[in-house]
Amino acid sequence: MIIFDHVGFSYNKRSVLKDTSFLIDYNERVAILGGSGEGKTTILKLILGLLKPDSGRIMVDGEDITIKTESELRDVRMKFSMVFQEGALFDSLNVKENVAFCLREYTKLSEEELDRRVRELLRVVGVEHALDLMPDELSGGMHRRVAIARSLAAFDPAMFLYDEPTSGLDPVNADTICRLIIDLSRDNKGFIIVTHKVYDAMRVAGRFVFLREGTVIFDGNREMLEQATVPEIQIFMRELQAAK
Amino acid sequence: MRIKEIINDLQDYYLLALQGLAGMFTRPFYFRDAIEQMDYAGAGSFPIIILVALFIGMALSLQLSAEFGRLGLKMYTGKAVGITVIREIGPVMAALVFTGRVGAGMASELGSMVLGHQVDSLRVFGVDPVKKLVTPRLISSIIMLPVLTVIGDALSVFGAYYIVVFVSNQSGHLYWQSIRDVLIFENIIAGSVKPFIFGFLIASISCYSGLMTRGGAAGLRKSTTNAVVLSIISIIISDFALTRILLYILGFSV
Repeated sequence: MIIFDHVGFSYNKRSVLKDTSFLIDYNERVAILGGSGEGKTTILKLILGLLKPDSGRIMVDGEDITIKTESELRDVRMKFSMVFQEGALFDSLNVKENVAFCLREYTKLSEEELDRRVRELLRVVGVEHALDLMPDELSGGMHRRVAIARSLAAFDPAMFLYDEPTSGLDPVNADTICRLIIDLSRDNKGFIIVTHKVYDAMRVAGRFVFLREGTVIFDGNREMLEQATVPEIQIFMRELQAAK
Repeated sequence: MRIKEIINDLQDYYLLALQGLAGMFTRPFYFRDAIEQMDYAGAGSFPIIILVALFIGMALSLQLSAEFGRLGLKMYTGKAVGITVIREIGPVMAALVFTGRVGAGMASELGSMVLGHQVDSLRVFGVDPVKKLVTPRLISSIIMLPVLTVIGDALSVFGAYYIVVFVSNQSGHLYWQSIRDVLIFENIIAGSVKPFIFGFLIASISCYSGLMTRGGAAGLRKSTTNAVVLSIISIIISDFALTRILLYILGFSV
């Protein structure tokens, strides 16, 4: 369980999150919505301990991660599988080596076993044919799918974290990524997806958190979101109506 | 406020440099990364070092021959070239070339990894970015810069030989005799200690600048520029300090 307890965070003297509080269970499918620069990605980085808040506490499984050292945070990070915006693949490694990165780091698999495991993971995300390609040879959609495969190779996560997984993708690729996100959450594994694409969020998530100026202005399910009267949310919902 | 920032930056730099050094002695070891970096820093810099060292040696020899010729001391050209190249110009020249090519490369590579969230990815996967990225670069610089310096010294001496013999019409035998005379323990130590220090400074400063990159393309430009400028300044200042210390230790009177 993740608890944000009155968390505040600022970057370059600009307040990004203000007194933000919420609670998320590992098996929940949560979408964090909001405009650009509203602190959506910051929330994911705070959960992983990549950033330290200025105020408040962040509890993961009852432990305050804001007071943990970098080496202590390693155990916390292993509970999550993070897919960064645009994939964040290591650009000096090919697809196979990117996916194999954690396997090489944490296992003593033989080259054959490693190859088999990497192919298996790439098959799950549908890009087995890209095994030998370099990241700059991949399309945006393939980039995200390889990043998802790499995150699956890492550990057995309790929860997935997706940072704008469909941004900049055409509808077909965005649909593929959304289906993949739903498939991966079948074993009662939840996820937090950060996006400004309300159509994609509605497809995959069951709970919606809306941020404005670093504050949670909405936290509820699909029906509540559709009936929300907050002007910013209504602007977002227009995109959904247009898509329908 | 600015002073506080500078002190904070210095503190962070020392911490990173120490962590990078400590990473050489603690597991896990990233041998493959270190070899790759050595290939990039060493083999990759070889052609440019050949070119620069050869022409520096020739230019230096021309200057010294012209000046010594006026004083009737042409026969000392070899000795002057040898001492200047081995003790001073060779290490500094190699370090400056290394900064321009390898230091700038390190800063921009790490900077783009920061901006592309690749460094965050490493942290998420439980991998220490300092051990994975900084330590191999420190190792490669500390090993390869001295190697390049020795090669550069040799080529500068050969370049000077060409000028001395074929342009200044002096005796080649006398030139090599002068070079042999300056290849004494004190001169070799004075010239070979410096590249180890310079290599450490270039890699640590460049890695620090790269990892501190913020703010897109403009931030990347700033961190790469900082890496080169700060490395050059630290090379020149530490060269003076090292020269003073080494001359004192090796018993030269000034």
